[in-house]
Amino acid sequence: MALLTLDQVSVAYDNQTILKDFSLELEKGKLLSLLGPSGCGKTTTLRLIAGFLEAKQGKFLFGGKDYTRVPVNKRNFGFVFQSYALFPHLSVYDNVAFGLRMRKVKDRDVSERVMRMLEVVNLNGFEKRFPQELSGGQRQRVAIARALVIEPDLLLFDEPLSNLDANLRVNMRVEIRRIQQELGITTLYVSHDQEECFSISDQVAIMNKGIVEQLDRPETIFKYPATEFVARFIGFHNFIEFDERSDAGDAISLKVGGRLFTATANPGTVRPGARKGAIRPDDLIVSGDTGQEAANALPGMIKVSTYLGRSYQYVVETELGDFTANQEMETPYFSGQRVNLIFPQDKLVLVE
Amino acid sequence: MKKSAVYWLLLPGFVFLAAFMVIPIVLTIGSTFVQENAFTLDGYLHFFKDPYFLKILLTTLQVSVVTTLVCVVLGFPTAYYISRKAPRRKGILLALAIFPLLTSPVVRSFSWMIILGRKGLINNALVGLGLIDQPLDILYTPAAMMIGLTHLFLPLMIISLVGVLENIDQDLLKAAQSLGASRFTAFRRVVFPLAVPGLVIGAVLVFVGSLTAYTTPALLGGKQRVIATFLYQNAMTLNDWYLASVIAAIMIAITFIVVGVMNRMAKTLNPKG
Ligand SMILES: Nc1ncnc2c1ncn2[C@@H]1O[C@H](COP(=O)(O)OP(=O)(O)O)[C@@H](O)[C@H]1O
Ligand SMILES: [Mg+2]
Repeated sequence: MALLTLDQVSVAYDNQTILKDFSLELEKGKLLSLLGPSGCGKTTTLRLIAGFLEAKQGKFLFGGKDYTRVPVNKRNFGFVFQSYALFPHLSVYDNVAFGLRMRKVKDRDVSERVMRMLEVVNLNGFEKRFPQELSGGQRQRVAIARALVIEPDLLLFDEPLSNLDANLRVNMRVEIRRIQQELGITTLYVSHDQEECFSISDQVAIMNKGIVEQLDRPETIFKYPATEFVARFIGFHNFIEFDERSDAGDAISLKVGGRLFTATANPGTVRPGARKGAIRPDDLIVSGDTGQEAANALPGMIKVSTYLGRSYQYVVETELGDFTANQEMETPYFSGQRVNLIFPQDKLVLVE
Repeated sequence: MKKSAVYWLLLPGFVFLAAFMVIPIVLTIGSTFVQENAFTLDGYLHFFKDPYFLKILLTTLQVSVVTTLVCVVLGFPTAYYISRKAPRRKGILLALAIFPLLTSPVVRSFSWMIILGRKGLINNALVGLGLIDQPLDILYTPAAMMIGLTHLFLPLMIISLVGVLENIDQDLLKAAQSLGASRFTAFRRVVFPLAVPGLVIGAVLVFVGSLTAYTTPALLGGKQRVIATFLYQNAMTLNDWYLASVIAAIMIAITFIVVGVMNRMAKTLNPKG
């Protein structure tokens, strides 16, 4: 059974519904990310779980108990804020000790646990500093230590890295994953950065306008997006709306206009009824050989060519609209050149 | 502009303050230690030995302390409420809170006379309701002064507090709660310490204002003197400029002591304020 269950919850600010019949499950010891564009309701979900917001409808179960009406301070969840929310009038030590003192832990144990936690986040020696005397990354670590030291049953992160510069972001996310796995702590992580979420999560929930579009392992989502929204969000820039679809064993035949395409049957294509094809620019092959009609090919003309560093990016105009393809090559195609776009069978997915 | 040139900008303000404030204060205080060309503490000894003077000093301090405390108690919740509002509404509420400052102290004191007098609103209401037989003596007592001064200085307390409270990140309260603090504890351990600098500024303004107020105690205090009215009486009616200077020096000393003590308290409550 899942440790955390959101069962059909609805949340509204004033009269505007943000989450409607929202459900989510999270297993003990796992890290689940909520990923989605700004304003899709990620923070709202997190605040609901933390107890800062109340659901209008639905239930929140935690460890088999109904937590829907449990007040924030009785939940024992750690929350790491986007702004860190460190207490500016307290030293690093006192910030981290805050939760333990609320729990009336004895002074000697407080000191031991605070010091151990500062070690975990590599901040030993900083306990006398004040938040404004720390760098962004260090503040972030204090915030994590403060949330972790209370040995929370659940750890909640709201875009914890968005205020850090790019290098530090990568280091910190590795750090967060390391600590999470070391302590085996169940974690819900919110971000709008795809790479960040995919790199550290056991599971990712892609959110859009208050609903979960897909919840899966990151690898699965990356390869087999379930909906057009997810596909677009993770970089499938090319779409074809097929008119007909017929499944026959290992292959799926797809028709559009007079053209026939084939897709391999795999978790990304078997979704019944899905007729919208999607493919990444990296997987689309631009062939200069226009002699004969190859399988899964679509003739077109190079409209725009740009240099990306490792590869060239082409916008190719075809009878089915424009397609974007990235290709590594020595001498690029020129604008106006006739080409064939090849859709590799196993790279074409079908989304809803 | 060159860095050294920038300091010249300070000159006009500096000259003004020196000419009209620092020098007169130093001269006034200095003059209290000199009589017939010799150093003396007689003025002060005389003052602190006279029970009548001491009574005035004590009443003044009492009135100032109580006024300050009442302003804290009334001002904090109001300021907290105002600071949580959206900018537009906050502006309106602040303007309303400041309104008393924009009316003349004389007019304000006269209104309090109408409200507090023996035939005033309060007494009429209480007698009319049969709650008391004889009208209460409120007007011309220290209580009347405190009421008038609270009315006068509460806005200063509110402005000072709103200034700090509105800058406190709401996430701090949430963080405290997520760490196990009840709403009240979160307020006490986070909001309050962060509000201390504003509280100190507000308290100093109210206290010093009450300590040196003239019009309000003169109109509402009746025969009850405070040091400001006593000073005026000595200087203007009795023409005793020496005693008036001694009183002024004592007022200045009290002001400095209070500011110092408040700052010390603020430092211990909020070391990073
Ligand atoms: N306090 C609030 N009052 C009214 N609307 C809000 C409030 N907070 C968020 N919203 C709205 O709720 C929606 C979801 O917000 P949020 O959960 O913060 O999104 P995300 O974290 O995914 O960017 C947004 O449209 C936002 O404008
Ligand atoms: Mg957010």
